[in-house]
Amino acid sequence: MKSLLIWLFPLLAGSVLAFWFLTRPDLIRISELPDHIPDFANGERIFHAGGCASCHGVDLAGGLELKTAFGTFRVPNISPDLQEGIGAWSTLEFVNAMMRGVSPDGVHYYPAFPYASYTRMDLRDVIDLKARLDAFEPTDSRIGAHEIGFPWNLRRGIGLWKMRYLDPDLVTNGGSVDVLIKTGRYLVEGPGHCAECHTPRDRFGGLDRTRWMAGGPSPDGEGRVPNITPHPDGLAGWTEKDIAYFLESGFTPDFDLVGGTMVEVQENIAKLEASDRAAIAAYLKSIQALPDPHD
Amino acid sequence: MVRLLLKFSVLPMLLTLTPVVAGEPPQLERHELMEGVRDAAKPIAKMSKGELEFDAAVVMASFQTWSEAAKVFGDMFPQGSETGYDTEARETIWSDREGFNAKLTSFDEAVDAAIAANPLDLEGLNAAAGPVFKACKACHEGYRVEDED
Repeated sequence: MKSLLIWLFPLLAGSVLAFWFLTRPDLIRISELPDHIPDFANGERIFHAGGCASCHGVDLAGGLELKTAFGTFRVPNISPDLQEGIGAWSTLEFVNAMMRGVSPDGVHYYPAFPYASYTRMDLRDVIDLKARLDAFEPTDSRIGAHEIGFPWNLRRGIGLWKMRYLDPDLVTNGGSVDVLIKTGRYLVEGPGHCAECHTPRDRFGGLDRTRWMAGGPSPDGEGRVPNITPHPDGLAGWTEKDIAYFLESGFTPDFDLVGGTMVEVQENIAKLEASDRAAIAAYLKSIQALPDPHD
Repeated sequence: MVRLLLKFSVLPMLLTLTPVVAGEPPQLERHELMEGVRDAAKPIAKMSKGELEFDAAVVMASFQTWSEAAKVFGDMFPQGSETGYDTEARETIWSDREGFNAKLTSFDEAVDAAIAANPLDLEGLNAAAGPVFKACKACHEGYRVEDED
């Protein structure tokens, strides 16, 4: 019995230490921030590309409830209020929240906040975005805590999730050097976070990259998010112009009008320059064609 | 003789009457109505895209189609028609009928305003049709199931 304990204790202590070490927040350091004067107009562009207002509200006051299989998430107040919002955050704290999913006090955010996409963003764009958010009116609405069941309420474990799913590299490194496709890839895989709905998830809630943009279950529960790869099950029948026009107007090629959660996304993307919509369209036509799942 | 009569007069009469009496299932009826609304949007979207010449008469005909649809669409969702026939109606239409009716009213009002505006050029058309399309999307957002086909 005693000898068993002698073995068990270091094993247990070792496991705890390993877990603690592996799940520690990985942060961007101040020395990595570029010397950059915020570009307000570009911040506005990134704000719309990311659709921040769709979840956080037009006044950024938060409060929306996202009911998921893991529990209920409450969207936080990101207005510049010093107490309830993020007005007291430094640029570095904002960058680490956006690109590493870590709060200013060093806690992992749940990936319901799509930092697994934002991690691919250009640091300058994130700095520009902060300048845009800082220009909003502060709102002091207090948002309640998430209601998440065990074991998902142990946030430290999100560190393990990040080891597997948080990857700042672009997903489709198809080698294309076409400037339009590159811009589209950045907008879609980074700030636009399109894959968060258009790519299905595995059982740990991470994106299944082998099914990139091939559609998935609807976040509303009913219906499906469409396949937007260039496959006949997806956008094969759409030209790049069709895709860009859809993002501008909401009209599909057969003049159906957009619905569901895509309505807000489309209306945000409509506020970008036409060249950005053309870039998104070019990218979507460049990715691997995948069929719908056979069910 | 009675049999013959039944066979040759009553039965065919019944057969022709059946569709009128029983009517089409509401799931199909409302789907067809929406297809008509979509078809009416087609020339308007094409005009604002620059693919079709502006034509005030075509525009007004589309507006009238929408107006007629807006008046009857709300009656096409009786209890019992929540599912079946690949309906894209979302359960929120029944669980939140007030919200659905409000969206429908705003569609009707936007169409009435467009008719009153009586657009005579492309600029006027865009100004008149914009709020209508916005109303379409606002209802699709919460009350239609988005499926791939």
